Amino acid sequence: MPRRPRRHQRLKSWPITFSPFGRALARMGSVSKPKRHSESIENHTPSSSNGFVKHPLDEKPEGSESSDGEFDGVVQADFAFFDPKPNDFHGVKTLLQTYLDVEEWDLSGFVDLILEQTTVGTVVKVEDDEDEGIFALATALNLSRYREQKCIIQLKDLFLAKASQEKGVADQLRVLLGEQAHNVGLLVSQRVVNLPPQLLPPLYDSLFNEVSWATEDEPTEELRNSFRFKHYVMLSKIYKHKNPEQKRKRSDDSEEAIVYVKPEDEIFHKLSSWSFCFPLRTQQPAPHEMKNYRSMGLIMAVEADKIPTFRQELGSLINES
Amino acid sequence: MATRLQFENNCDIGVFSKLTNAYCMVAIGGSESFYSVFESELSGVIPVVKTSIAGTRIVGRLCAGNKNGLLLPHTTTDQELQHLRNSLPDQVVVQRIEEKLSALGNCIACNDHVALTHTDLDRETEEIIADVLGVEVFRQTIAGNILVGSFCSLSNRGGLVHPHTSIEDLDELSTLLQVPLVAGTVNRGSEVIAAGMIVNDWTAFCGSDTTATELSVIESVFKLRDSQPSVIVDEMRKSLIDSYV
Repeated sequence: MPRRPRRHQRLKSWPITFSPFGRALARMGSVSKPKRHSESIENHTPSSSNGFVKHPLDEKPEGSESSDGEFDGVVQADFAFFDPKPNDFHGVKTLLQTYLDVEEWDLSGFVDLILEQTTVGTVVKVEDDEDEGIFALATALNLSRYREQKCIIQLKDLFLAKASQEKGVADQLRVLLGEQAHNVGLLVSQRVVNLPPQLLPPLYDSLFNEVSWATEDEPTEELRNSFRFKHYVMLSKIYKHKNPEQKRKRSDDSEEAIVYVKPEDEIFHKLSSWSFCFPLRTQQPAPHEMKNYRSMGLIMAVEADKIPTFRQELGSLINES
Repeated sequence: MATRLQFENNCDIGVFSKLTNAYCMVAIGGSESFYSVFESELSGVIPVVKTSIAGTRIVGRLCAGNKNGLLLPHTTTDQELQHLRNSLPDQVVVQRIEEKLSALGNCIACNDHVALTHTDLDRETEEIIADVLGVEVFRQTIAGNILVGSFCSLSNRGGLVHPHTSIEDLDELSTLLQVPLVAGTVNRGSEVIAAGMIVNDWTAFCGSDTTATELSVIESVFKLRDSQPSVIVDEMRKSLIDSYV
């Protein structure tokens, strides 16, 4: 595999998260200092077929020392991709806490499903972290294989309930969740807010590679077929501008109609066969820049053929930013 | 008997509720299914009071109480204080205290006779605890943690503590508290016992992630199981085997 081109990384200010590493990043972001260029980000090729990949992310400002005990902008993070393990239960559950907004559903059962599927699914952790905090998760679950599970039944019912307002789309969703379910994968991708975007292309690459390897490596014919997805369905969070007409009148270019919490959602949305939004029940107090926006859930379906295009566009999107 | 439930997909029910022998407090804003579990177990026996403390829902961690009294942090509003005084039974003394460690539920673990407290609690607070709650107060740590209220769940019949508590500590605490203690976990391996479960002398509630093993440990240490033949066999096992030899 070719090595990735060298890139510079600029430090941004990140919100606070729940792990020592996250706190170190947050402290770093809050101290004002001149912009620094850092070493390049190296990419190792996958060393084994179970998709274990290392991505060291070094940020070393010139001539700084950490001997004074302060966090002077030196944060070293080696992110590693792992197969899901039963031990990851609490970390993955925390990431998925708000997946279905405040609806009460079998979240623990859903997490167990994800952790049992070791062939397809990736969790991102920091190397040698004693806390074993999970920073990101990506997986694809075949809707027909797990159709008996309570969590999947509840999830399907919830999706259909949200779609009931949108006439045209509701039928397509019903088909995908019902008759076509054996060809449909539920794409679940959640992560901490401040995860470096450079990790996204390798994360999605490893996910889609695992899906194609599973179509060859799984022990039974039935399992192999269960990974030949034709469609992916996903649920994400976006911010929609509250007054789209007003925006046009003011011709204010700095405000977009839709702000995507996860950058890859913009590409997925563009490539999607259909999509719809629904209002979320919890409205978190928005930071100042977001006061004109409302948080909404977005459900969309993307055809599996469009995935190579997605991977390409994601690579160029991350390269630009 | 122990019941499993969750609060808005969160298994830390000890954060959003408080249970004693004389009353039960729950946070407002939860779903009806959350309240109905409490009401089906407890209504008619003790009052179930919906409240907030300092405008928050983390009522279980901010207050400490037993059948004699309830202690509230200084951040409690006057309306909340009045509401609690009105809703709780008359013999329960409700007191708001000036203590800089305001998460009293994390700092104090108590039953109707004895209390363990955070080592840095004010002397004055310690006296108020002894006075209002009618307990003997001991400053202790549990497995090296000073937040005794978080890592230990106590009733008049038993106690569950942090899984890493050493045998010597267990013996020492058990002697102080005069109840049998067990080191264990709740909610599938969580060490924060008091966040994951609430208990009184006849019933307990745990987060829905609690495994069957954890549940059976809880039921046995707090003596919640109804009399069953298996209980008699287990408890008399030593004497039975002795008689064979």
